[in-house]
Amino acid sequence: MLPELGNFAVMLAFSLALVQGTVPAIGLKRKSTSLIAIASTAALAQWLMLMIAFVILIKSLVDNDITVLYVLNQVNASLPLLYRIGAAWGGHEGSLLFWCLLTSTWTLGFALLRQRLKKHTSTYILVVLGWLNAGYILFLLTTSNPFVRFFPTVPIKPLGLTPVLQDPGLLFHPPLLYLGYVGFIVGFAFAIAALIEGKLDKDWCLALRPWIALSWVLLTIGIVVGSWWAYRELGWGGWWAWDPVENASLLPWLAATALLHSLFVSEINGEFKGWTILLTILCFALSLLGTFLVRSGVLVSVHTFALDPKRGIFLLLILAVIFVSAMLLYMLRMSRMTSPHYFKLLSKQTFLLLNTVIILVAIMTILLGTLYPIVLESIGLGRISVGAPYYNVVFIPIIVPLLLIMGLGPITHYQQDALSRLRNKLLPPLLISLGVTTMVIYSLPGFHWMALLGIFLAIWLITSTALSLRWPLNLRQTAMVLAHAGIAIVILAITITSNYSISRFVKISAQEPVILGQTHVTLTGQHSTHNANFTANILQFSISETNKPTLTVNTALREYPDNQSSLMKPGINYNFWRDIYIAIGNAYDDGSYAVRLYVKPFVRWIWLGGLLVALGGLLTVIRGYREDK
Amino acid sequence: MTARFKYAIPLGVAIAILLILWMSLRLTPSQLPSPLLNKPLPDFKLKELNEQQWVSSHDLTGHITILNIWASWCEACLAEHTQLLKLSQNKQIQIVGLNYKDNSTAAEHWLQNYGNPYSIIGFDHDGQVGFKLGVYGTPETFIIDKQGIIRYKHIGPIDEAVYNKEIKPLIEQLTSEHDYG
Repeated sequence: MLPELGNFAVMLAFSLALVQGTVPAIGLKRKSTSLIAIASTAALAQWLMLMIAFVILIKSLVDNDITVLYVLNQVNASLPLLYRIGAAWGGHEGSLLFWCLLTSTWTLGFALLRQRLKKHTSTYILVVLGWLNAGYILFLLTTSNPFVRFFPTVPIKPLGLTPVLQDPGLLFHPPLLYLGYVGFIVGFAFAIAALIEGKLDKDWCLALRPWIALSWVLLTIGIVVGSWWAYRELGWGGWWAWDPVENASLLPWLAATALLHSLFVSEINGEFKGWTILLTILCFALSLLGTFLVRSGVLVSVHTFALDPKRGIFLLLILAVIFVSAMLLYMLRMSRMTSPHYFKLLSKQTFLLLNTVIILVAIMTILLGTLYPIVLESIGLGRISVGAPYYNVVFIPIIVPLLLIMGLGPITHYQQDALSRLRNKLLPPLLISLGVTTMVIYSLPGFHWMALLGIFLAIWLITSTALSLRWPLNLRQTAMVLAHAGIAIVILAITITSNYSISRFVKISAQEPVILGQTHVTLTGQHSTHNANFTANILQFSISETNKPTLTVNTALREYPDNQSSLMKPGINYNFWRDIYIAIGNAYDDGSYAVRLYVKPFVRWIWLGGLLVALGGLLTVIRGYREDK
Repeated sequence: MTARFKYAIPLGVAIAILLILWMSLRLTPSQLPSPLLNKPLPDFKLKELNEQQWVSSHDLTGHITILNIWASWCEACLAEHTQLLKLSQNKQIQIVGLNYKDNSTAAEHWLQNYGNPYSIIGFDHDGQVGFKLGVYGTPETFIIDKQGIIRYKHIGPIDEAVYNKEIKPLIEQLTSEHDYG
């Protein structure tokens, strides 16, 4: 009974979304405030309906109601409670319902917090959001309904949630990522409203910024958590694989980064209007494109959901309707919205614009790498896969000018700067970073050109930013410093960990130490444990580094009898400076194991830097909130 | 460059990307023509799932055969399972499973749980045979006639509609072909 109720709630939400998309628009035409007021009410009611549906889905999962196909596919009797809840977004249908709920949450949030905008602008935004939500919910109902029943003819023992997903990461990574992704829908509605009205003013920019910044923060944290999860769960010791789905999350992040910077300029004196609107649309386009690539089965990756061609066609239709109409509107209206042009060649605006363009090039490059195999295959030239080597090669020429300019931007004045002043300002950070880089390189074991380049860029970014500051810092500057320092730390960490990590693949027997750099690793023992829904064979390793106390690390081979599958949990010992990562492979008959050992310096700094970037974004959100008061 | 033209560039880019995506979808739908269509089944030889016997492509001739590629890790396979169980009632056809990139114990448990529609199952652990057959993913279904010619291929789960519109008529046609031939 409950699942039918859930289904009904989703249908009601669909109708409410249609109401939100039409009635207030009529209200605007007839200048009827009561009709306009329906927008917020419909948004609230729609959110309630989707919340009810989602709670019902969770309840079905918790109660293990296997007459619901989704429940049957996702959970089994032995699955712990937390993962039952997580299973609500662990599969395609559930995650789509969750997605609709989040879209609706953002809509509701906007309906409640829209003081700054004029009534008709915010109503247009709600109308656009109504139509978008209706499209999503229709997709959910027609192709991916989580409440479909299944009455088997033979008794069934469900397999349950894939063991890889049975990790605390499941509880954080998808919700954060989705929240971030979905949030760009608000920006898109802003852009459409601005195009319809033919007006983009300071208030529009100030009202939009916190929404973009908040989505961006959530997406940043989502990507960081995803990278950390892959590292500790997938067992190959990598933190980024250029997997198509990872790219799909990186693309809107890059677009939003460019947008935030373009917005800073637009909000000061109305420059870059067209660019800001395009980037706003691009953020949403790329987040939808990501959904398409993941859910249509076009690309195969570790994130692949079950394959159904109908879904792909429907999603593509949504994509086409949204973007062709948005771009048509852009073409017709943008030529009438003139942007002023105050700045000279040597100015902060030039550098900001240049970097948004470089980011766009980065986006195009990733997009090319992701779509190129598809194009090649569809014109009959066979299957190829573009992997990490492509991205590693093409990204360096993009990232070098980006980071150099990131260091220049904060030093330079708005509108116009003098070359002589800039030269004097640049000399100290340049000299300091050259000096520090030499010292760092000297202290590292071995020399790599790439390390020299990466470390120099990171230190250049930090010193030039630090020397550009004027105390005391305001909120805006603090946000910039944190975000840019975060980026510098990420670059530094990536450089060091990719150039100075060491690894060994060995066959390891009990009590026979294996040497890896300065580290001795010994297999000291093993035992079995029984847990809620798995048994684990735990291998105990002792690690001794020169002049340091001996450490123990456990690595587990887990067997999930109800899922009939197994999972290897790598053993990781970490401190601030380095990780020691142990992954086990095959067991040999003589009791020895194939083992992969890694020492990864600075790997944790990648995620620390990422979180620092997110913190900078959070300050931007807070700043927007304060200015709203 | 006139102003209008400049503002049309994003539209052009959007349409180009949508076209690429549309092409990409044409690759995955079930109507995808297999280069093997109306060609003889490629030769292969495999161990049977959890058995010592071998199964080869020759075992698939002499009957109307439905060759179904499946795996226990594949959610979509469960969706078409009822159709396959229904098909297994028809004694004029044999259903052969190709267990694709799977764990043999997991596959065995899966069949015990959900029922086994297959008369023979080849265990394609490393996906070698799947590669020969041009398998994109699971589930996929081939229909092979008595002479060992591939007559039909479907990618993705067989639902009620696919079964009624495509598979049922073809099986009826093949059965009557055999009656006269």
